[in-house]
Amino acid sequence: MPQRPRRILRRRWATTEGWRGTRAGMWAWLLQRAAAVALVVVIGLHLRTPYWHAVQVLLLGLVLLHGLLGVRAILLDFGLPVRWHRRLLVLALALAALIFAAVWGWRWS
Amino acid sequence: MVLKVFRWSPGFRERIQRFWVPAKEGMTVLDALIDAQRRLDPTLAFRYACRVGMCGSCGVVINGRERWACRTLLKSLDTRIVTVRPLYHFPLVRDLVVDLAPLGEQTARVGGVFTPKAEAPAFAPIGAAAPERRRIDPAIECIGCGLCMSACTMVAHDPRFPGPAALNRLFTVDADSRDAGDPAREAVLLSEDTLLRCHGQANCTEVCPMGISPTESILALRRRAVRGLFG
Repeated sequence: MPQRPRRILRRRWATTEGWRGTRAGMWAWLLQRAAAVALVVVIGLHLRTPYWHAVQVLLLGLVLLHGLLGVRAILLDFGLPVRWHRRLLVLALALAALIFAAVWGWRWS
Repeated sequence: MVLKVFRWSPGFRERIQRFWVPAKEGMTVLDALIDAQRRLDPTLAFRYACRVGMCGSCGVVINGRERWACRTLLKSLDTRIVTVRPLYHFPLVRDLVVDLAPLGEQTARVGGVFTPKAEAPAFAPIGAAAPERRRIDPAIECIGCGLCMSACTMVAHDPRFPGPAALNRLFTVDADSRDAGDPAREAVLLSEDTLLRCHGQANCTEVCPMGISPTESILALRRRAVRGLFG
């Protein structure tokens, strides 16, 4: 008797259901990847218009976001307990905001 | 309350069926499903056994998150509409019932099976205080409910990725000094579709009702594999 093809449901990113219950670790991963793609575009813009203030601000924000989320991933890779991963995400975002504000106050205000 | 349940049978189109169930104090999602089946539609299929959170057979996706139906109080969901779907990434059998066989198949495929050393004594206990035991213990309580496989986005993306449960099991066996080791294990550890595929999103860790962190086990295996690369 021919076997019926197996039906397997998958979490599809294009569906609402696929995003329900999305957790902190996934947001951290997504944010870092999105920042990486955005960086490629913004670095291109920055090379052409190095003194354009808006691009400088955007570049700093994206570098901080991407870099600090990367440090979070490395710390987990090197053995920091995974149960800290949510706190590390908050810490990375807070640190990014803090450094951004400090640079803004120092150079751009 | 309204229970929106995924319905599907081989040869039929999938659909969402609504059941109106009177919510009572202390009622769980499993209680609601049983009530719907007894009063409204006896053809509704779902799996359960112990009803007290020990067997892990009632794993489903409730309002987008993997949970055991027997341990999920309706009150805790804080909504009057509850959506229940079968676990993702397992072959559907019918309605909310999935075939959990891939859990065992993937575990065997990655060499997560204990093989005693030839010269090993019949009884070789490892003391509770031994560092090896302390490393393995947090990962050993997996009862194979499959919630982690369903929550893992990498399993969704790459069908060759063995998934958190199999890799967690592999970690417990690999870290056991009594295990002879599977010759295929090294190749598996360093293959593109195994440890390197895990993006550390920790979805598996978040949903595990046993408090296991398969992410932690995968990262430990990855460190072990990298150390192996450099001798």
